[in-house]
Amino acid sequence: MSAVLHAHPETGPSLGVAGPQKARRVLSEAGMRGRWWRFTLILAITAIVLVPIMVVVVLSLTPAPGSTATGLTFENITGVFSKTLAGTWLQNSLITTLSTVVVSVAVAAPAGYVLSRGRSKAVSGYSLLLFVMQSLPIITSVVPLFILFAGMGLVDNLLGLTIIYVSSTMTVATWMMAAYFDSIPISLEEASWIDGCSVFGSFMKVVLRNSLPGVLSTAIFAFLLAWNDYLVAIVFLRSNEIFTLPVGVQSFFQQNLTDWSGVMALAVVMMLPPIIVFATLNKYFSVGGIGGSLAGR
Amino acid sequence: MNVQPAANKAFSRRGFLGLTAAAASVPLLAACGGGSASQGGGGAGGTVKFWDMPWGTPAYNDAAKKITEGFSGSSSKASYQIIQWNNFYQTFSSAIASKTGPAVSTGGGFQAFQFEQQGQIAYADKVIDALKKNGQFDDFLPGVLDPFKTDKGYVAVPWQLDMRPLWYRKSLFDKAGAEVPTDWPSLLEAGKKLKGIGAVGFATGSGAGNFIGNHLMIMMMINNGGGVWTKDGQLDVMNDRNVEATEFMLELVSNGVVDPAAVSYTTDNLDAQWKKGGKAAFGMYVTGLPQRVGDTSGDLLVASPLAGPHGDKAALAFPNNIMMYKNTPSQEASEAFLVYYMGQLKSLWQQKLMNALPVFKSITELPEFTSDPNNVKIVKEYQPIAKTFAAQGAALNANMAVLDGGQALNQFTQTILTGKTDAKSALTAFQTGLQSVIKK
Amino acid sequence: MSSTTAQSGLARARRGLAPGGSGGGTLNRKSKLSGQTRRTFFWLLLPSIVLLILINGYPLIYAGVQATHDGSLIDTGNFVGFDNFATVLTAPAFWKAAQFTLWFTIVGVFGSWLVGLGLALLLRTKIPAGGTFKVLLLLPWVVPIVVSSTAWNWLVATPDSLIPSIFRNLGLGTPLFLADPHLAAVMVMIFKVWVSFPFMMMMISAALASVDTTVYEAASMDGASKWQQFTQITLPMIARSTYISWILMTIFCVNDFPTIYLLTGGGPVDATTSLVVLAYRSVFQDFQTGTGVAIAFLMTLTLVIVSVFLYRQIRKSSVE
Repeated sequence: MSAVLHAHPETGPSLGVAGPQKARRVLSEAGMRGRWWRFTLILAITAIVLVPIMVVVVLSLTPAPGSTATGLTFENITGVFSKTLAGTWLQNSLITTLSTVVVSVAVAAPAGYVLSRGRSKAVSGYSLLLFVMQSLPIITSVVPLFILFAGMGLVDNLLGLTIIYVSSTMTVATWMMAAYFDSIPISLEEASWIDGCSVFGSFMKVVLRNSLPGVLSTAIFAFLLAWNDYLVAIVFLRSNEIFTLPVGVQSFFQQNLTDWSGVMALAVVMMLPPIIVFATLNKYFSVGGIGGSLAGR
Repeated sequence: MNVQPAANKAFSRRGFLGLTAAAASVPLLAACGGGSASQGGGGAGGTVKFWDMPWGTPAYNDAAKKITEGFSGSSSKASYQIIQWNNFYQTFSSAIASKTGPAVSTGGGFQAFQFEQQGQIAYADKVIDALKKNGQFDDFLPGVLDPFKTDKGYVAVPWQLDMRPLWYRKSLFDKAGAEVPTDWPSLLEAGKKLKGIGAVGFATGSGAGNFIGNHLMIMMMINNGGGVWTKDGQLDVMNDRNVEATEFMLELVSNGVVDPAAVSYTTDNLDAQWKKGGKAAFGMYVTGLPQRVGDTSGDLLVASPLAGPHGDKAALAFPNNIMMYKNTPSQEASEAFLVYYMGQLKSLWQQKLMNALPVFKSITELPEFTSDPNNVKIVKEYQPIAKTFAAQGAALNANMAVLDGGQALNQFTQTILTGKTDAKSALTAFQTGLQSVIKK
Repeated sequence: MSSTTAQSGLARARRGLAPGGSGGGTLNRKSKLSGQTRRTFFWLLLPSIVLLILINGYPLIYAGVQATHDGSLIDTGNFVGFDNFATVLTAPAFWKAAQFTLWFTIVGVFGSWLVGLGLALLLRTKIPAGGTFKVLLLLPWVVPIVVSSTAWNWLVATPDSLIPSIFRNLGLGTPLFLADPHLAAVMVMIFKVWVSFPFMMMMISAALASVDTTVYEAASMDGASKWQQFTQITLPMIARSTYISWILMTIFCVNDFPTIYLLTGGGPVDATTSLVVLAYRSVFQDFQTGTGVAIAFLMTLTLVIVSVFLYRQIRKSSVE
C-alpha cells in the first residue's frame, strides 16, 4: 500500500489499480448501512426543524371560516391574489430583489477580489471601513436615509429601495466573495498573467469563472436580504401599489387579524420564489474544488 | 517550495489601520445635508394630501377614500393615502422632516401633540369656528372636544372615540353560576368561580405589540379616582388610589383570575381567548368585539362599568383625531377639507364600517348604530364617564404619547401581571421611569 | 515512514493544497504590485466605496449628531455633548440589555454554527434525496421573520398551544414559554438558532465543496483516523469561512431587531431586551432620540472593538 502511495507528488496519490477498487468495495457494504442510517437521521432532524413551517403551510391550506371547502384546499392561495394586490407585490419584490442580487454581486465580487489579493494599508483600511459602516443597526439609519432620498425623489419607489438593499449587503457579500477567492490558488492567475492577461482580465476570465459556488452563495444571501426585508421597505414605500411582499403581508395582517388562512396563504406565496431559486441552483453548490485543474500539472 | 499557509495570508489582509477613507469623506457628506426641502409629489396645484390609517377593514379605507376624493373646495382637491400602523411614527416623522408629509391626517391618539411640540401642527381654531357656524359643533358629545384645547388653540379635531369597555361571555357565567360583576369585590368573587370552570375571570395581555394590558392598568387607576396625572397635568403616580388599584390587580393575579401567561399575550392570543369556545369570560377590550372575533350570536355582551372601592366609576377612552400640518399648499384648503370631512363622517357609520364610537350625537342616533345593543350601552354608560390618559386632568399633551407607548408603563404592566412584586415598589419604578422621559 | 507521510499529507491538506498543487498566494510574491495593478484595484473597489459612504457613512454621521443632541427625529435640538452617553451608561436597563445581548450572541453564533456544521457534514455524504433535504433545511432562513414568529407564537404562546399541551400530556407541567422570563430568554435564543443555522450551513457547505476529497482518501490510506481527518483536514480547510461566518453572525445577532421584537417585544419585563431592542424602544416608544442613538453608537463601538480583537487573535494563531 505505502509503496503505491509514495509515487509522484505531482500527480498525487494516484493509487494503483488494486487500490481504488478495493476501497470502493469496502465502502459499499458499510456504506449502504451508513447511508440509510444517515437518511433517517436527517429526515428526523428536518421534520423537527420544519414544524413551524408546516404550521404555516397547513394553516394556509385550511379552509377559512365561511368557506364551503372541506379538508385541505388551495383556495386561500388563489383567493389571496384576487383579494389583495399580491400579484403586484410579488412583481415588485421580484424586480427589487433581482436587481439587488445582480448589482450586489457586481460590486462585491471585484471588491472581494481586492480584499483577497491586495496587500496594502488602504485595503486593510477599507476592510475596517466595511465593518464599521455595517455595524450601525439599520433602524437608526432609516430616517436620515429617508430624508436624503426624499430630497432626490427616491422614496416610494423601488430604485431607492434597491440602492439601500445593495448597500446593506455590502459587507457580507464582499467578505463572502473574499473568503471564497482565498480558497482559489493564485497559481491560476499567475498562469494567466504569464500568458499575457491583465489583472482585470484574469479576474474576470479565470477567477470568476471558477467561483460559481461563492458567487451563488453571495447571490443567495443578497436575494434573501432583499426579499425578506421589511424594516426599510415599510418606511420607504407608501403606496399600496408599490409595496413589496413583506410590507404587503404586514398590511394584510394588520387589517385582517382574524383571517389567518389568508395571511398564511400570502406567507406561502412569499416563501415560494426563494424555495424555487434554491431548488434549481442547488446542484451548483456541490461543484467540486479546484484540485482538478491542478492535478494535471 | 516555500508556501505560505493560506490561512495566514487571509487574515493579514485584514489587518486594521487608518480610517483615512472615512475621515476624508466627512466634509463631502456635510455638504449634502438632510431635509433640503424639495416638495415631494402631490403638492401640485393645491391638492390637500390626506393620510389615513387602517381604522377598520379595507372596506373602511375604500369608503374614506371615496369621501376624500369627493372633496372639491375652491380650486383645490384632496388625495388619499393609507399609512400602515407598523412604524407609523417613523413614517410620519421622516415624511415631515423631508417635507413630503401630508396636510391633514389621522394617526396615533397623541400624535398631534407630539408634532405640535415640534412646531409642525396648524391649530384648528378656524375649523372649530366653521363647525360652530354649520351646527356640527353642538352635535359633539359632551366632553369630547376638551382634551384638545390648549392655550395656543385647538391642536386637533376628534372624529371617533376608541372606548375600552368591559365585555363578558354570558354562557361562561351561566356555566360557573357566577354573577356579572358590578364592583371590584364582586369581580374577584366571580373571577374565582370562573377559574373553577377553567375560564379566565379577567382577560388581558401585554405581549409584543399588545397595549391592552397597559390600558387596563391605567383604567383601573382611573376607575378608582386616581390616574397618572393631577388635574393640572403634574405627575402623580404614587397617590393612594393608584396604590389601591394596583394592589387589587395584584390580588387578581395571585388568585389566578388573570391568566398567568397573559403577560406575553399578543392581540392574536387575546382574540383567540374571546372567540367562541375560548376561555375569556370577562375583561376589558376594544369596541366591536363580537364582529372582531366573529361571534355575533349575542353571547358577548358589554358589561356595565365597575364601581371602585370608593364608589367611583370611570371609563377609559382614546379620542382619535384629525390634525393639520403646517406644511400644506394652502391652509384654507386644509381647513375647508377638514370641515367637509367632518360633515361626511356620518356615512361611515351608516355603512357600518366603524366599530368605534362616533363623536357626534346624531350619529349615535342612527338606526344602523342603535341596532347593536352593545353600542347603545357604551354610549349610555361609558361615554359620559369617559376619561383619557390625562386623568385626572382633562387636557392632553405630548407626554401622553410617552406614557402610552413608552417603556415605563409597559414594564409596570408586565411587572404586575407576573405578580412578583408589591404595589408600592412597582409604582415607584413606574414613576421614576416616567420622570426620565417626560418633558415638563 | 507512514506516519511522517500522514503528517505531511495532513499538513499540506491543511494549507489548502491539493496534493501536488500550490496554494493560494498574494500578488506580492511575484511583485505584480505595479501601478497597473494598483489602478485596477482602485477601480474594482470604487463602486462599493461610493455606496458605503453614501448609504452607510451619511447615516453614521447623522447618528453622531443625534446622539450628541437632545432633539427628536425631526428637529435637532440642543447640543448636550456626551450627556446622553452618560445617562445611558449609568442606567441599569442598559447593562441588563448588554448582558442579555452577550448571551444571545454567544448562543446564537455557536449554536447555529454547530448545527450548521453538523448538517453540512451530514449532507456532504451520499444520502438519498440529499439535494431535497438541503433545500428544505434552508427554509428557516428563507421564511420571512414576520411569518415564522407568528408560527412560533402559535406553537408556544398560550397554555393551550401545541407545545405546552404536549408537555402537559407528558406529565411535565405546563411551561409558559413566553411568559416566564427565563423560558422566554431561552425561547428567543432557540428561535434565533433556528433562523440562523441555514446561513452557517450554507457558508460551510460552500467551503467544504472546495475541498478536494482525494485528500481524505490519501489521508486514510496514510492511516489517519476519521476524527484526525476531521480535526486536521476539514476544520482547518473551513477555518477561514468559519471565522468570517462567526464574525458575520455576531453582527447579525447583536443588531437583530425583528427576531426578538416580533416574538416577545423584549419582554416579559425586559427579560429578552437586547441592546438594539432597547435602542429602538428608546427612540420610537419613549421618543428619546438622543439616548436611543447613543445606545446604537455604543453597540457599534463594542462590535468594532470585539472584532479587532478577534482578528488579531486569529492572525496570531494562523502564524504557525
